[in-house]
Amino acid sequence: MKSAKKLGLIFGPVVIAAALVWGILLLPLNHRRVTNTELNHSAVSLSTNVYHGTMLKQAAFAKDYVPFLGSSELLRMDPLHPSVLAAKYHRPYQPFLLGSAGSQSLNHFFALQGVHRQLRGKKIVFIISPQWFTKHGQAPDAFSYFYSPLQAIDWLLTAKDTTSTRYAAKRLLSMPSGESSTVLAHALQKIAAGEKISHSERLFLEYRRQMLRNEDALFSKIKLDRRWQHVQKVERLLPAEDSNQLLTTTAIHLAQKHTNNNNLGIDNHFYAQRLRGSRINALRGSQKHFDYRCSPEYSDLELLLSEFKQMHTNVLFIIPPINQKWSHYTGLSLPMLRQTADKLAYQLNSQGFNHVLDMTSNSHQKYMMEDTIHLGWLGWLKMDEVVKPFLTQPQAQPNYHLNNYFYTKKWQQTLFSKEGGHS
Amino acid sequence: MINLQPYNNPTYFAIILTGLLPVMIGLYYGKRLRIYESLISIVFLVLTFGGDHWQQGMALIGYTIFQVILTMSYAHYRHQKKNQTNVFIALIILSILPLVIVKLTPLFPNHHGFNLGFLGISYLTFKTVQVLMELRDGTIKEISASQYLHFLLFFPTISSGPIDRYRRFLRDYENPPARKDYLQSINKAVFYLFQGFLYKYILGYYFGTRLLPVVTHLALGQRLAFGGTGISWYLLAYMYVYSLYLFFDFAGYSLFAISISYFMGIQTPPNFNKPFIAHNIKDFWNRWHMTLSFWFRDFIFMRFTFWIMKHRWLKNHVRISQLAYLVNFLIMGFWHGVTWYYIVYGLFHATAIIINDYWLRFKKQHQDKIPHNRFTEYLAIFLTFNIVCFSFLIFSGFLDKLWF
Repeated sequence: MKSAKKLGLIFGPVVIAAALVWGILLLPLNHRRVTNTELNHSAVSLSTNVYHGTMLKQAAFAKDYVPFLGSSELLRMDPLHPSVLAAKYHRPYQPFLLGSAGSQSLNHFFALQGVHRQLRGKKIVFIISPQWFTKHGQAPDAFSYFYSPLQAIDWLLTAKDTTSTRYAAKRLLSMPSGESSTVLAHALQKIAAGEKISHSERLFLEYRRQMLRNEDALFSKIKLDRRWQHVQKVERLLPAEDSNQLLTTTAIHLAQKHTNNNNLGIDNHFYAQRLRGSRINALRGSQKHFDYRCSPEYSDLELLLSEFKQMHTNVLFIIPPINQKWSHYTGLSLPMLRQTADKLAYQLNSQGFNHVLDMTSNSHQKYMMEDTIHLGWLGWLKMDEVVKPFLTQPQAQPNYHLNNYFYTKKWQQTLFSKEGGHS
Repeated sequence: MINLQPYNNPTYFAIILTGLLPVMIGLYYGKRLRIYESLISIVFLVLTFGGDHWQQGMALIGYTIFQVILTMSYAHYRHQKKNQTNVFIALIILSILPLVIVKLTPLFPNHHGFNLGFLGISYLTFKTVQVLMELRDGTIKEISASQYLHFLLFFPTISSGPIDRYRRFLRDYENPPARKDYLQSINKAVFYLFQGFLYKYILGYYFGTRLLPVVTHLALGQRLAFGGTGISWYLLAYMYVYSLYLFFDFAGYSLFAISISYFMGIQTPPNFNKPFIAHNIKDFWNRWHMTLSFWFRDFIFMRFTFWIMKHRWLKNHVRISQLAYLVNFLIMGFWHGVTWYYIVYGLFHATAIIINDYWLRFKKQHQDKIPHNRFTEYLAIFLTFNIVCFSFLIFSGFLDKLWF
C-alpha cells in the first residue's frame, strides 16, 4: 500500500470525527423548541444542568414562570411547597426553582445572565438564608458546583463598566472557577480594572459561547422528570379548594404526622437519617459562636440587587425563620439572628426594595420548619400568604436607588442594630 | 502570560499537534529536525512552567542545572576509570536530595519560603538516578550534556512519566525510523490518543467527577456506622469508584504521553497492561504503573538483593527477597508522600506480595493436590482485584478523612 493511502487511513477517521463534533457544537442550531411538559419538569427539577443553562430558563420566563431563587429549602417539597400549591390550584404563575444546597447570591447573579430580556419588568421571589452570611461568605467549592461558564461569558460580553461589574469580575477571579480558563481569566482581569476586552478575546468568547449554548441545548433536558412526579403525587394530599383555612388544617395535620419521632419538631426521616443516636449529641451547643452579622455575602447580595435593578424586576424577599427548639439545642443566638435580619432589611429597604417578608420573628411557632433551618408546612403557607397576592395582583413600579457603599468592607463588617442604625 | 497544563483540555492537544506537525513531516521523510524539535520543546516547557507557574519554572531550571552538573561530573569521574563506592553513594544522595526536601516540606506547615518543587520532580529524579546507576555499572559509557538534557526534559513525559530509560530513549532519538515504521508508529499514536480520550475524559471523568463526589458524601455520612468505624456499603462503593477513577485517569494520561512520544518517533514504554486481570499481586505489579514498578525492581529491589548477598548478611534467599520487598515498597510508600496512609499502602503491598510468594511456593510443592482450572483463575483475578482496590482505598487518604 502506498504511504499516502496509509496516511489517509490513519488520519481520515480522525478528521471526519473532528468535523462532526465541531459541526454539532458550532453550528448555530435552532434549539428553541421546548414543550410544556419539559417546562413543567425543569421548573421543579432543581437540576444543576438547568441552573447552568439558559435555554430552558428563557423558554420558561417568556411564559408565566416566576424565578424562585433560594437554596436548600427549595428541596423540601412537602405538599405546601410553593411549586405544589401553584400546580394543584392552577395558579396564574408557576415557580421556576433556581438554587439548591450551597447556592448563594453570587451564583444567582450569574444564573440570571442570558435571561435579561425575558425577565425585564417581571417579578422574582428570592429566599435569602441568613446561613449564607458566614465570616468567609460563599465557599469556593460550592460556587464551582453551581458555576456555569456559559453564564459567565454571557455576562462578560454584555457587561458595562460599572462598580457592580468590576466587583463581579473581582469576585469571580477570587474563585477557582474564574481561573479555570486562561482567556476568561485574562478578560476578567481587564474588566476588573475597568478596561475593555480586545476584539480577538471577544471573538474567542463568542465562539465558546456558541459551543456552550449547543451543549446546553443538547444535554440540559436529560432526565428532569423525577421531582415533577413527586409534585404530582403529593398534590393529591391537598384540599380541593385553595382556601387558607383548609390549607392550614392540612399543614398542621401533615406536620404532626411527620415530626413524631423527636421532640424538636424535625421531620422524622431527616431526624432518623442525620441526627439520631450519638450524632445529635455532638451538635449540642455547637453553634454558640455562629455569627451572620459580618460577611462578604452582604456585598454579593448587593451585586444581585444591581442585577434586579438592571432588569427592572419587582422582587419579593423572604428571610426564613429558624427552628427555635433546634437553635436552643445548638446554642445559636437568636438576638444575633434578629440583628442579621435587621441588617438585611436595612440594606434592602434603604435602596427601594420594599417587599421584604422577615419571618425570623416566627421562629418560636410550631410547624414552621420542616427540620432545622428549612421552611416546611406552615412556614411555606405563611410565605404563600404574601407570595400569592404579590404575584397575582398588580404591583407599583419599583423605584430603586442603589448605593455603592454596600460593596465596601466597611458595610460587610458593620454591626447593625435597628434602634441605633450603624454602630 | 498564558499557562497550559499538560493534556488538560482540547486546546492543549490542538496546540501540541500543530506545533509538532513539522517534526512529523520531517520524520515522514526520514529526518529528525533537531533544532526545531529543541525549540518547540522549550516553548512547551515555558507554556507548562511559565505564567503564574513561574516559581515552578525557576525550580525546574535550578534543579536541571544541578542534576546536569552532578551527572556530567560523575561521567567525567568514571571516564578516568575511578569507581569508589563512597563517591557513588554521595552522588545518589545529592541527586535525590531535592526530591527528599520537597517530600518533607509538607511536614512543616509553617514553612513559607521558596518551594523547590515543580510538577514532575519525582519523574526527573527517577531518570537522574537511573543514569547515575548505569554510569556506575558501566552500561552507559559516553554521555553528552545535550543528549542528557533531551532525555531529562523530554516534554511529553515530563510531568508524570512513563519513565523511559536513557539508552532506549537515545536509540530512538538518534535513529529516525524508516517510513514504514514511522507510519506504524503514528497509527499507534492515533489509537493511543483516542484510547486516552476514552479513558481520561469519559470513563475517568465519569468515575472521578460524577460518581466520586456522590459516594464520598454518602460514605462520610456513615462516619458512625459499624461501631464508629465508618465501615459501610458506601465505603465499599467508594473503594471501587476511586480505584476505577485512579486507573482510567492515570492510564489515560499515560496514553496521551505515549501517543505524543510516538508522533515524535520516540517509543516511550507502556505504563499499564490490563492491571485488573492480574492473577496475583506479583502479576499486578507487572501490569500496573509498569515503568515505575520496573524502575523500582531494577534500581531498588535488585540492587538491595545483590547488596545483601554480597555482604552475606542473610543466607536464606527467601528471607532476602522478603526483606527486599519490604524495603522496595516502603520506599515507594514514602515516595508517594510522608503520610501514614501512603506508608501503610507500601507495607500492605509488601505484605501481600510476601504472602503471595509463600502461596506460590506452596502451590509449586503441592501441584498434584491443588486444582487449576478456569474457575480458580477467575477466583484469583477476583481476589487480586479486591485486594488491590482495598490498597487503593488506603492510598486514597479517604480513611484519614473518615477517621481523623
